[in-house]
Amino acid sequence: MASHAGPEGLHEYIQPPDLIQGGEDFTSITNTVARVSEYKPPKAWYVAFGVSVAVLGMLLVMLGYLFWEGIGIWGNNQPVAWGWPIVNFVFWVGIGHAGTLISAVLFLFRQQWRTSINRFAEAMTIFAVMCAGLFPAIHVGRPWLAYWLFPIPNQMDMWPNFRSPLLWDVFAVSTYATVSALFWFMGMIPDLATFRDRSTKKLPRLLYGIFAMGWTGSNRAWHRYERAYLLLAALATPLVLSVHSVVSFDFAVAQLPGWHTTIFPPYFVAGAIFSGFAMVITLMVPARQFFGLKNLVTIRHLENMCKVIMATGMMVGYAYAAEFFIAWYSGNQYEGFVFVNRALGNYSWAYWTMVTCNVFLPQIFWFRKMRRNLVVMFIIAIFVNIGMWFERFVITVTSSSRDFLPSSWHYFTPTLFDALVFLGSFGLFFTFFLLFCRFLPTVAMAEVKTVLPDAHPGHGHHGEEGK
Amino acid sequence: MSPLIRDEANQTYWRSLEQLAATPEYQELAAKEFPAGDEVNWTESSRRRFLQLVGASVALAGASSCYWQKETIAPFNDRPEGRVPGQARHFATSMELGGWGTGLVVTSYDGRPTKVEGNPEHPASAGATSIYAQAATLELYDPDRSRAVGRIADGAAQASSWKEFDRWAENRFTNLAGNGAELAVIAEATSSPSMARLRARFAKRFPKAAWATWEAVGRSAETAGCELAFGQSLRPLYHFENALAVLCLDDDPLLDHPNALRHARGFASRRKPEGEMSRIYAAESRFSSTGAAADHRLPLRSEQIEAFLLDLEAVLAAEHGLSLPDPASGGNLSGESVREFLKAAAEDLAGHRGGGLITVGAGQPARVHARAHRLNQLLGNAGRTVEYLPAESSDPIAELGAVTEGLNAGRYKTVVVIGGNPVYDAPADFGFAEAYAKAEERVHLSLYRNETSEASTWQLPRTHFLESWGDCLGWDGTITLRQPLIDPLWGGRGELELMARMVEAVELEGRGIVRKTHDVDDSAWRTLLHDGLKKDSRPAAVQVRAGKLDPPALASGQTKGHAGNGELELCFHADSTLYDGRFANSGWLQELPDPLTTMVWDNAVLIGVGTAEELGVENATLVDLEVNGRSMTVPAYVMPGQAPGSLALALGYGRTVAGHVGGLVSDDVAPVGFDIYPLRNSADPYRVSGVTVTPTGTPFELAMMQDHHQIDTIGQEGRDARLDQVVREADLAEYKQHPDFAQHMVHHPPQESLWPERTYEEGRKWGMNIDLNQCIGCNACTIACQSENNISVVGKDQVLVGREMQWIRIDRYFKGGTDNPEVVNQPMACQHCEMAPCEQVCPVAATTHSSEGLNDMIYNRCVGTRYCSNNCPFKVRRFNYFNLNEDLKGPDNEVRWMAKNPEVTVRFRGVMEKCSFCVQRIAAVKHDARVADREVGGDEVVTACQQVCPTEAIVFGDLNDPNSRVAQLQKSGRAYEMLSELNLKTRTRYMARVRNPHPRLAAAAAAAAPAAHAEEEVHHG
Repeated sequence: MASHAGPEGLHEYIQPPDLIQGGEDFTSITNTVARVSEYKPPKAWYVAFGVSVAVLGMLLVMLGYLFWEGIGIWGNNQPVAWGWPIVNFVFWVGIGHAGTLISAVLFLFRQQWRTSINRFAEAMTIFAVMCAGLFPAIHVGRPWLAYWLFPIPNQMDMWPNFRSPLLWDVFAVSTYATVSALFWFMGMIPDLATFRDRSTKKLPRLLYGIFAMGWTGSNRAWHRYERAYLLLAALATPLVLSVHSVVSFDFAVAQLPGWHTTIFPPYFVAGAIFSGFAMVITLMVPARQFFGLKNLVTIRHLENMCKVIMATGMMVGYAYAAEFFIAWYSGNQYEGFVFVNRALGNYSWAYWTMVTCNVFLPQIFWFRKMRRNLVVMFIIAIFVNIGMWFERFVITVTSSSRDFLPSSWHYFTPTLFDALVFLGSFGLFFTFFLLFCRFLPTVAMAEVKTVLPDAHPGHGHHGEEGK
Repeated sequence: MSPLIRDEANQTYWRSLEQLAATPEYQELAAKEFPAGDEVNWTESSRRRFLQLVGASVALAGASSCYWQKETIAPFNDRPEGRVPGQARHFATSMELGGWGTGLVVTSYDGRPTKVEGNPEHPASAGATSIYAQAATLELYDPDRSRAVGRIADGAAQASSWKEFDRWAENRFTNLAGNGAELAVIAEATSSPSMARLRARFAKRFPKAAWATWEAVGRSAETAGCELAFGQSLRPLYHFENALAVLCLDDDPLLDHPNALRHARGFASRRKPEGEMSRIYAAESRFSSTGAAADHRLPLRSEQIEAFLLDLEAVLAAEHGLSLPDPASGGNLSGESVREFLKAAAEDLAGHRGGGLITVGAGQPARVHARAHRLNQLLGNAGRTVEYLPAESSDPIAELGAVTEGLNAGRYKTVVVIGGNPVYDAPADFGFAEAYAKAEERVHLSLYRNETSEASTWQLPRTHFLESWGDCLGWDGTITLRQPLIDPLWGGRGELELMARMVEAVELEGRGIVRKTHDVDDSAWRTLLHDGLKKDSRPAAVQVRAGKLDPPALASGQTKGHAGNGELELCFHADSTLYDGRFANSGWLQELPDPLTTMVWDNAVLIGVGTAEELGVENATLVDLEVNGRSMTVPAYVMPGQAPGSLALALGYGRTVAGHVGGLVSDDVAPVGFDIYPLRNSADPYRVSGVTVTPTGTPFELAMMQDHHQIDTIGQEGRDARLDQVVREADLAEYKQHPDFAQHMVHHPPQESLWPERTYEEGRKWGMNIDLNQCIGCNACTIACQSENNISVVGKDQVLVGREMQWIRIDRYFKGGTDNPEVVNQPMACQHCEMAPCEQVCPVAATTHSSEGLNDMIYNRCVGTRYCSNNCPFKVRRFNYFNLNEDLKGPDNEVRWMAKNPEVTVRFRGVMEKCSFCVQRIAAVKHDARVADREVGGDEVVTACQQVCPTEAIVFGDLNDPNSRVAQLQKSGRAYEMLSELNLKTRTRYMARVRNPHPRLAAAAAAAAPAAHAEEEVHHG
């Protein structure tokens, strides 16, 4: 905010600064955003894309090997029947949370600072859910039959088992993926129309034209659009809570000590928002640099996200503490042992990695300077990503590795294949993400324009919007 | 093996097994049937011949491309009576191991034996079998078996045939006849009456020939001990069912004994707290199953057993008025725990004259046995808890030594080795391999081409015991028959058939030989075969009288309380699963955990916890052993309860020519484990002293079925805190006060289910009961289940990552201090919870409940989410991470399919599996009952684990039948449900273990531990 040139020092305390900086106006915003797809991208894009596609290629090779050889190439064992694939699944689903939260929940709460980042976050959501969806499908013993989890009519007259949380998961995640994709696409229609109108070549014009769905920008169209957007936002909002709650049921409904915990749904949702925002920062900080979006995605946006990270980080920290308390308070010896074992047993290294990354490190955001420091926030965001991956690892692996009967206890060791497939999922994610950055409107132009002062004639220089 | 013979044997289709086997007999027969009258002279070249050949070739080539091979199904003209295709039939036969037979009943489907059970009529079986008998079907269909006669002449291996061998043998043995000074035979130990008959003929035909009986491990010292004690060659026959006070000295009569099954049955009958319970004392160097089952166990160096026995004599004489023929020389051992143990044991033995029993391990020298025999007689136990039967004295080491000497001297030009593997397992100081090579002709009859076959000039394939005729004796002397279940797969011959040719017997075929030995009429013969044994044929017991024994000269080490490095003793023992190494190529046995260490696919030197600390040896690291001037690097396993100063090593590993499972160096299959025989000398085959251990610190991965990794303090504490609830135990005194103590060890609030519970009031309600007081942890159930249910072997690398497949496992827990912990065993398989947590979470409903309460697994519905396994509190579900039946692929392995139980699905990759309560056996019984139009009896269904259990610890049946054994047992106060706080309603119940400690020792132990159930840390890997 120091960069904001206020007439008086007091000013910035009374009036929040503009959400959009650098004196951008309607035209310049359109130019800034559309330029990315109209001109050759920077070299860094090619490098990044090349690497991502290579990693994606490796993932495909690994998957071929998996189908050929069997899922024994994972490190899963007895008793840790769910290893990295499920850890990765929950990790990616969690990341997929920020998108809908930013688009839907913040929209309903009139948090207008979201406009600069929501498209980005939604795209991230879609791709993260794609990655998430991959893992359950390839972790099952017979991946070619994974579709049996869907209630598809079949010659056996078999329904899936509706008591199984895994089935709820199928519905929750597929609903979430569908609604998120719809929401993302619908929100993009006016911007796609802008791209269509600006394109000079035939093919892009045709393609953008198809996906713009005949957008005219008429009053009527805008009216319908706004209505639909509001409705979808209202529809998507419960999904933010439901998806990760249902994912947490996979664990909470099982009777394994360390899984069988009622705190899981809110705890998972908080963690998901936490990790989602961290991922947005991880992606946004370099992206705004490379694509010249600094005026649209300002330090203030990033700072707000840092605040969310700190808040949700403390929520998960509270959940960690509450779990311990309940484990002790319940008097259940199996439950008690699981938590003591987590913190002090053979997986304590994973546990303390998690706590450090998720609870201790984000505390640095108490300092305003740190919240506004791009390098610091980028590093912290990376750590939060790591920490949240470890959270899922701690929950999934440590609980099952030492359950009821000591005779079946076994340490879990991942294989190289575990690591390569996880890495490969980043290839999948970034390939799509970089394509999105290159060809689609990365910032919701139409929405951003609504927060410009110009959009509100008669309300003075500073609009009432903004936080 | 030459590729030529291989191809012959690997035809995809065959009309008969003789043809498949391409035996010389068959070829002979075929040649007779289709005389080669007009053989074409191929070398003759004429225009006409040329055109004939071209025309024929074209016609044949065309024909073969148009039609597949023509197969004819030959139906029975008259169906043999009682034979229904696809229905199992059962035949009595027997298996001989180490010279002693166990009666078996083998299940056969359409002429294909698939499952071995014990013969309930046989005294050495009583319906149970050893793990070796269970593994027999895998061995029978092992493609690595010796398949054809091989001849090595002038250093070159060539394919040969029985015809060629017969020609050679006739010539050779005719030349040797009448004298035989140049002939030596090395044979496996056998009690076969037919063999004895043929041996008599042998002695007549070759009066000067040498005969050595060779077994790497055996009980000859026991018989020698009887000679010392009673002046007669005898073998003791124990009756544990009569014994109320038992003292086992470095002995494992419950597992490591030819009559172990019977011992276990007798032992178990005395371990029911509802009746009069026996008290078991064990003083031993290595933890044995008997030691684990004992009420009191004293870890003692093997070399101190003699001193211990002398002290016992002294205490009995001094405090209990036992009159010894010679003055007692006690007071050799010091130490409070030893004295207390001695006193208590002496008190019980003296208090139960005629009801006590002292047994001594096979590895102890004859003079120790002699003292124990004498004590048994003096205490009035002889004739009651132990009977003495006439036995032939034999000293395998001396006999093999004599032959080796002769070989070295060049006396023996022809050596015939019948079975066995002396090149691998002869004492190291004999240098047997070099001596053997000096003989001109070396004939080896063997089931596998092993190390000895490689060094022989004739490699003769031996028939498996399920393929051949024979006979043997049970340990109690009962004459036992052996009949084949299938024609020899690879055209081998039995030991009797080889002998018959050597001695020019009239009968050359096994059946004829055996029939002639048991010279009975047809009806009696059929009865013999039906029963598998000759009833009441055991010899009468011999009355014994104890005499004086020379006072022993104890070595200083035997009285010293502590042995430092360089003074350590090393004991050799037959491996708990591979025996002396002959079963090394059995995947089932390699993957069967050792009962105490739970180690698989390896052997390691066992070192006590204190000794390891003293020596600086870390668990699962390599150590250098220096023994008898020879040194060897082996992995170390730090074993709680191993006697201080004593090391133990299992024989039978490190085979270089075993096969594709156990090691085949020529085919790049590394040996499994370490060959210990090079450390073993003829002078001290079971124990050497003066051993030095040098730690190297190099880690070595040992595959353990349990405790795969070193357990940390937190884990240890958590384990100890719940152990009392998992395996419930009490003293006999506590039990008498609170017979239902087991049901009050866990209390929880009343439980409600989320959905309506099924009641199972109608129809069958299958349940199981496992008595922890009876279980001795022998693992027979595990391997029986493996055989019955087509369970895959996964290999060491998969065991290391915890992916073993066995459906029933035996959980082994240590309790108490590391120096002398107690051990509890708990067989663990699917508990068939009525409120099964696995069923609730399966998204595709691949595991559901049957109307009879079975938790069924539907393999073809399973997609493999493994959620069920996560939610199973017992972790009894097993997942096919790979296609574990990959080894069944290829024409070479087709024979393996024959070992599969046709009633059980062979599981595909990616599906979950687990104990089914032998649902196929339930179905078979129900089917039979329906055909006979009757109800299924409550005890009628017998699961594989139940059937094989030597102690009858496992009982299965219908809980809705109030008279069934399982329903009765589950009503007992000792019965408890595992993890009842989870509202599982398990169908399997456990019967709490009740120990019967000596009141004084129990009080001392309670005083030593502040809390009643306090457990010290047991650190171990």
